[in-house]
Amino acid sequence: MKNHHLSVIAAFTNKKLFSAMLLLSLPFFTFAQSASDVVQPPQEFSLANWDWEFISYCIVAVLIILIIARAFDIGALTEKITGKKVVNWNSTNRWVAIIFLVASIAGIWYEMIYHGKYVLIGDSYSEHGETIDSMFNWTFGFTFVVFVITEVLLFYFMFKYRYREGQKALYYFHNNKLELVWTVVPAVVLTFLVLRGFNTWSKITAEKPKDAQEIEIFGYQFGWKARYAGDDNTFGNSHFTFISGKNPLGLAVPEHVDSLLADLKRDTALLNRQIASASDSATAWKTAFVSFNTGSNATAYPAVYKDLKNKMEDAESGAYVRQLKKDLRRKNTTISRITTYRKDQKVFNSAANDDKITTEVVLVKGKSYTFNFRARDVIHSAWFPDFRGQMNVVPGMATWFSFTPNKTTEQARTEKNNKDFDFYLYCNKICGGAHYNMKIKITVVGSEAEYNTWMATQAPFVAPPAAVPTPSNTQDSSTLVKPNTVTIR
Amino acid sequence: MSTAALHTDHHHGHDHHEHKESFISKYVFSMDHKMISKQFLITGIVMGIIGLVMSLLFRMQLAWPDEKFGIMEMLLGKWAQDGKLDPNFYMGLVTIHGTIMVFYVLTAGLSGTFSNLLIPLQVGARDMASPFMNMLSYWFFFLSSAVLLISVGVETGPASAGWTVYPPLSALEKAMPGSGLGMTLWLVAIVLFIVSALLGGINYISTVLNMRTKGMSMNRMPLTIWAFFFTAVLGLLSFPVLLGAGLFLIFDRSFGTSFYLSDIYLEGVGAMENIGGSPVLYQHLFWFLGHPEVYIILMPALGITSEVISTNARKPIFGYTAMVISLMGISFLSFIVWGHHMFITGMNPFLGSVFMILTLIIAVPSAVKVFNYLTTLWKGNLRFTPAMLFSIGLVSFFISGGLTGIYLGNAALDIQLHDSYFVVAHFHLVMGSSAIFGMFAGIYHWFPRMYGRMLNNTLGQFHFWITFITAYLVFFPMHFMGLAGVPRRYYMFTLVKEFDVWMDVNKMMTIAAIVGGAAQLLFLWNFFYSIFRGKKSEQNPWQSNTLEWSAPVEHLHGNWPGAIPEVYRGPYEYSRPDREDDYFPQYVPDESDNAGTGGDGHGSAPKRKSTKKEEVAENVMFAAIKRVFGWS
Repeated sequence: MKNHHLSVIAAFTNKKLFSAMLLLSLPFFTFAQSASDVVQPPQEFSLANWDWEFISYCIVAVLIILIIARAFDIGALTEKITGKKVVNWNSTNRWVAIIFLVASIAGIWYEMIYHGKYVLIGDSYSEHGETIDSMFNWTFGFTFVVFVITEVLLFYFMFKYRYREGQKALYYFHNNKLELVWTVVPAVVLTFLVLRGFNTWSKITAEKPKDAQEIEIFGYQFGWKARYAGDDNTFGNSHFTFISGKNPLGLAVPEHVDSLLADLKRDTALLNRQIASASDSATAWKTAFVSFNTGSNATAYPAVYKDLKNKMEDAESGAYVRQLKKDLRRKNTTISRITTYRKDQKVFNSAANDDKITTEVVLVKGKSYTFNFRARDVIHSAWFPDFRGQMNVVPGMATWFSFTPNKTTEQARTEKNNKDFDFYLYCNKICGGAHYNMKIKITVVGSEAEYNTWMATQAPFVAPPAAVPTPSNTQDSSTLVKPNTVTIR
Repeated sequence: MSTAALHTDHHHGHDHHEHKESFISKYVFSMDHKMISKQFLITGIVMGIIGLVMSLLFRMQLAWPDEKFGIMEMLLGKWAQDGKLDPNFYMGLVTIHGTIMVFYVLTAGLSGTFSNLLIPLQVGARDMASPFMNMLSYWFFFLSSAVLLISVGVETGPASAGWTVYPPLSALEKAMPGSGLGMTLWLVAIVLFIVSALLGGINYISTVLNMRTKGMSMNRMPLTIWAFFFTAVLGLLSFPVLLGAGLFLIFDRSFGTSFYLSDIYLEGVGAMENIGGSPVLYQHLFWFLGHPEVYIILMPALGITSEVISTNARKPIFGYTAMVISLMGISFLSFIVWGHHMFITGMNPFLGSVFMILTLIIAVPSAVKVFNYLTTLWKGNLRFTPAMLFSIGLVSFFISGGLTGIYLGNAALDIQLHDSYFVVAHFHLVMGSSAIFGMFAGIYHWFPRMYGRMLNNTLGQFHFWITFITAYLVFFPMHFMGLAGVPRRYYMFTLVKEFDVWMDVNKMMTIAAIVGGAAQLLFLWNFFYSIFRGKKSEQNPWQSNTLEWSAPVEHLHGNWPGAIPEVYRGPYEYSRPDREDDYFPQYVPDESDNAGTGGDGHGSAPKRKSTKKEEVAENVMFAAIKRVFGWS
């Protein structure tokens, strides 16, 4: 049998350390490679570019730690020689525990005062929000009591029952009555909270209020748009295949959809031509690459070099043609879907023409609203923190949230003593790089008149033709997305 | 050498040990559970360092969004041009930090290390049921770690859809740069990881059920073993579901299926073909693992804490039976509460109500555990070893973080708190800090058992207090931010005026995080220095009762040189009034101790008489457990 400690050293130095180093260094090897693909001319790799200031901090920190470690070794040595404990950690820790406890209470107290009105839940600006806040306060009451009692006990026990030589702990295995008490008491408290929570939750989410005005909130990477039904009070149909640059919400408007269809057909024709001439392209790119790849071009223009190289390799491996065929299939599917819907007069019922797409949400105080959510690409989450509302915005799935604002933006500004304050709807589900900047302003006005003034400034989606009124066909039903009749799934 | 012979014949095993092993079979492809546990631990520590550094990088970004850091450019190259972190890479860092911490450090690093080390040693087995599968488990984990780390370096960046990788964001290559090759590698890494977890889990369960030494009845097992056992059961039942979810996602990504995709128009691509899938389906499948995963992380830490607190309080763990039942209750409930992660996904509100009720029930067994820990400390004789301090820290975090679970489990409050910093505070305290403190407690406590040497006590004390204080400084203010409406996973807060008031707090948290991160250098120094130069350990340095301390300090293949010791009583007989010592190991026979002949041996000291009712209740309960799991 080998010496145990030697074997540990061998194990560590030979395998662990090596694998650890390998693991640690792998990503950075790849970074070093990818760093040269930057579009801008890459910086020369030299030690002068390193953050020496930061590195010197690190070195100093490590040195300090090593010095502390050595100091403790000396302490341990003193202990060994004199036979006396330099530090009795059992009695030191009891005091540290008490200091920690007191300092924490002071810290929380300071935070409460320092951030004052921001700490704990703020004032809500919707009717149901008050029930949520009251629910929160009840929960806070219970948990705060439990929190204080248990944490104080924990640190007090550390203080009180520290190790003493010759002292013996209480031999205490179990006490069924005690255990029963602290099973039943939390159960009762939680039953109360559950029932209250159940009640609050059902009231808020179970049913859409019948008299509510509906607004569609459309989430996309990276922004929000709102859609109001317009003068006819009916939302036009929409479908994700109808989305185009001029028709960002994909509304069923003949002129936009027809022009999209024409664009798609042109695209497919182009794709077909590209597929047919794929072998020519491959040859052309190869020639281009070979003629470019002379002298120091590759190092002087890495981006161009890489682009050409990728194109050549994709063409040679067939990835280029595969991608083209995939695009073609996708576009053909879209064309056939659009063509089918285009024939359906129930879909293109002209209800979308007077819909108003806005970049701001304006609400009237005291009026009930239902927000119907639609996502264009990935999951977003519509969060109205001031109104205590949140619902995910899921592609392919209709979701909604209702609330009634009970204070205007002006009132909120006065209350918060901040004349720049505005309500916002934030995205609260990771949705990509610019997730942090995906928001839309919500303004609550005091009267219908103000709302109407604002609404009049918003243009309808399709400018109405002079004189000829559009026949309103409000009772339509269709197979497509109907934002105004969303069911819960 | 036949390992089977070792396991089946406990009394003739030791003459097999003499045979020489090659370097490779001893240190690399080792089948010895102690070596595998060290491999898990060191890989876990390396992953932990990487996860920690990532968190420091994005904390720096959050605190000083306009500052330029040379160190960022040095480390991250094109992702931090001019020292400013790229928003896409910020998401990547958040994602990989979460993945590493949840799966690689706190699942494999914690459960893998201590299940492997302690299950055979504490139940009295020569090795795992299948040492070969055990070895495979580690190497799949290693491979998985390597794939994950490589994915960080690919040109389009690592997976960056959050550690939950919700489709469509994760399913569509064009949705964000990180959803390209990085995402594919992430999925491959997770599939490998699941294989590792399943191989390990099967092994732990069969070892616990079949290979206990004579006298080690289920109700005499240390709570660590109970915790590892339930953890393994949870993993075995829930990881396959994640595997399914991951495979569907791979299909959606690469083979054009529409499990999770429907009605998508992507900027720059156009309308997608996919129709009829549901992104919410993925969330159901993910959280069916994702919620038990929380307990897969936490329960081993709770088990370790039970053991460490009892040993260092020199006091029996209070309510052993209640502790086991609460572990069992938590395990069972954890399977039927996954929907509380999805209250506001548009799921039927009635379903939300059901999940809310089930979720809040979990608070009851958790509360029982906390009260039992407190009662164990009460009138104890507390030795503040670093392991004990970390265990007490765990209890503190478990209280702070657990109580906020009552807010988040409440669907009505979740409307407001979902995905806010309140959630970040909650799970970093109850799952992150708690579990990592359990892991530290385990390392400080069992380091002598692993390496035959002691860790430096003083450094351990400093390590604990700095980490404990900074962890609270980092995570506690997040509650206030969340309540004020600050969303998580934001690259910077400066674009929203309302969040300006939190900039000071953000800076404070980042400084605390850096100090806390630097404190880990104390631990690393202590750990690696002590492996080679630490004070030599005695056989039973903590005067503990459990079986692992009866094995010699030197590691033997097969654990005990002679016969496997027999077990005579429960593991928590500390400070018995009829004993002079304040501990009474499980493996020490005693003629006067009637517990050796029957009964569970908990609280079996002569002075203490349990009532007839209690005995009947306990017997009925254990009979039920035995029946449920089908052994006799």
